[in-house]
Amino acid sequence: MSAVGKIVAAALTAGVGLFLPGAGDAAEPIKIGVSGPFTGGSSPMGVSMRDGVKLACAEINAAGGVLGRQIQLVERDDEAKNERGVQITQELINKEHVVADVGFINTGVALASQRFYEEAKIPVINNVATGSKITHQFEPPEFADSYVFRTSAHDTIQSAMIVEEAIGRRKFTKVAILADSTNYGQLGREDLEKALDKRGIKPVAVEKFNIKDVDMTSQLLKAKEAGAQAILTYAIGPELAQIANGMEKLDWKVPMIGSWTLSMANFIDNAGKNGNGARMPQTFIQEGDTAKRKAFIEAYQKAYKVDRISSPVSAAQGYDSMYLLVAAIRQAGTTDGVKVREALENLQQKVDGVVKVYDHPYTHDDHDAIKPGDAVMGEVQNGHVVRVR
Amino acid sequence: MEIFAQLAVSGIALGMIYAVIAFGYQLTFATSRTLNFGQGEALMLGALTGLTIAGHVGYWLMIPAVLLFGALQGFVVERLGVAPAIKTKSEFGWIMSTIALGIIFRNTAENIWGKDDLKFPSPLPESPLKVLGIHVLPMELLVVVGAVAMMLAVELFNRRSIYGKAVVATSNDRDAAGLMGINTGVVITFSYMLSSLTAALGGVLVAPLTLTGASMGAVLGLKAFAVAIIGGLNSGLGVIVGGLILGIAETTTGYYLSTGYKDVPGLILLLVVLAIKPSGLFGKVAIKKV
Repeated sequence: MSAVGKIVAAALTAGVGLFLPGAGDAAEPIKIGVSGPFTGGSSPMGVSMRDGVKLACAEINAAGGVLGRQIQLVERDDEAKNERGVQITQELINKEHVVADVGFINTGVALASQRFYEEAKIPVINNVATGSKITHQFEPPEFADSYVFRTSAHDTIQSAMIVEEAIGRRKFTKVAILADSTNYGQLGREDLEKALDKRGIKPVAVEKFNIKDVDMTSQLLKAKEAGAQAILTYAIGPELAQIANGMEKLDWKVPMIGSWTLSMANFIDNAGKNGNGARMPQTFIQEGDTAKRKAFIEAYQKAYKVDRISSPVSAAQGYDSMYLLVAAIRQAGTTDGVKVREALENLQQKVDGVVKVYDHPYTHDDHDAIKPGDAVMGEVQNGHVVRVR
Repeated sequence: MEIFAQLAVSGIALGMIYAVIAFGYQLTFATSRTLNFGQGEALMLGALTGLTIAGHVGYWLMIPAVLLFGALQGFVVERLGVAPAIKTKSEFGWIMSTIALGIIFRNTAENIWGKDDLKFPSPLPESPLKVLGIHVLPMELLVVVGAVAMMLAVELFNRRSIYGKAVVATSNDRDAAGLMGINTGVVITFSYMLSSLTAALGGVLVAPLTLTGASMGAVLGLKAFAVAIIGGLNSGLGVIVGGLILGIAETTTGYYLSTGYKDVPGLILLLVVLAIKPSGLFGKVAIKKV
């Protein structure tokens, strides 16, 4: 070893020696991962979610943090790609040593990535992804405990609500399903067909289309010729807008009822007046109907200088997921993954969230905080989503 | 019958969108035997630039500015991507460089305009016209009329003006044209400018129908490439017929067979054409001497 090398080594040893006593110090922040698509087609959801999480985190830190420590968020962009999700998950666990994670917008990314949290016994709260399977990926007998939790309305709840709206409330008997060809669209279509089947109804037409398709004439004509009285959708913003615009073109206007993505800003903006009347299940609508919600909306608008939140549902669910996680850490008295999971499964204190008041949201066998009845129907009206009363 | 007519009308509108882009492929292939694989991106840049300019001066006044922008963009592509390859007589260099430039343009656009799809305000009423029970949007008519007018203008230019004759001469035989005193390098640059100009104009024509965004060019560019192959890379009539075939095949297959298979017949046709008549339905057979 050269002289320089020795000096460097000595300095490093001294540095580590100085640093080590600080490692266990109470002032060291608690690291929590935030993963979602912050670029690409799903980014309106990812960015709103992240901003909701950041808002909650800032409030918690301003009030003194948790366990006497501040929270530090580690944000990573999964680009809505499965392989990228796996990569950043491993980075968050092995390099950043996060104690928990909130995030996941895309069902496919969640299913591919969250097994690493399961293996590392680190709790993860899915706050936007809706695939029914997400919270059932790790179940006994194969896995004793699941570390995967959720604060979004899963597809089984949503499809039941869509069918209730179409068949139960509005008494339609002939409906057509239009879904995109992605995993999201096709899994949602299956859920819709099952929910319809429970009421003894078979859709008169089941059509699909690809992302970036610009012409929906044939899909809509098929639905029209089959005598559909309503169109049930499972797709994302831009293509949903093409459906709404296509109906206007064919001068055939029937109600559009579909999954929560009908509230996406890129549907509302691109469909314009043709989007009016579209209905979808929502856990949160940008209406200050309670003091808590009003305060949340105003704080969000002030912090990010926007008038309309581009995905209010994602923002609210992200915000709530942070408060649930912190409540569990506080109850556990530690950041140990196993203890935090146990605390989440048996939360003693009620958490007053934006979506709802969480009173024992999770149990050992139920990791879905949103139950049937927690979501409401929203309707697009002149550029905004309003609550259907 | 009414349904078939409706499908056909929608297919024609869709097909003309493809034809406009395919026409751009043709312009550069004629003079230099090279293609701009970033043609879809040229269309996207035209549409997004148009969207920004239209916000200040309105739709119609925006068009000349977009034409200028398109020509400039084509100039950049040719100078940076194609000219070096032609100079070194590289067989494949231009393929890689035009694809690379396309990706760069797309990433730049994502940074400027974001990744979300934007609404392009329509200059014409957005409620459909009803003719004999068939619905058609005024904007769809404008696409068809605009596309045909643009192709006619380019044809007229090639046949009537002295500069156009230089283009035709270069297309027929680049070496002979060079010997006759035509600066073929300039002609090739010009053809790229013309090609991107048509793509940019195509962009602002189709944008009110397709939504506008950084990724709008990818699928359209690929479909247009299929149209150019089906129609023939050196036939103006070919791209129109090819576009109509592909557009109508998509809408009718979607209705009569299944929407899951709507892209299949067009691609099967592509394979058949490549197998039986590789120069395209309307293409002239070229014998390459080596």
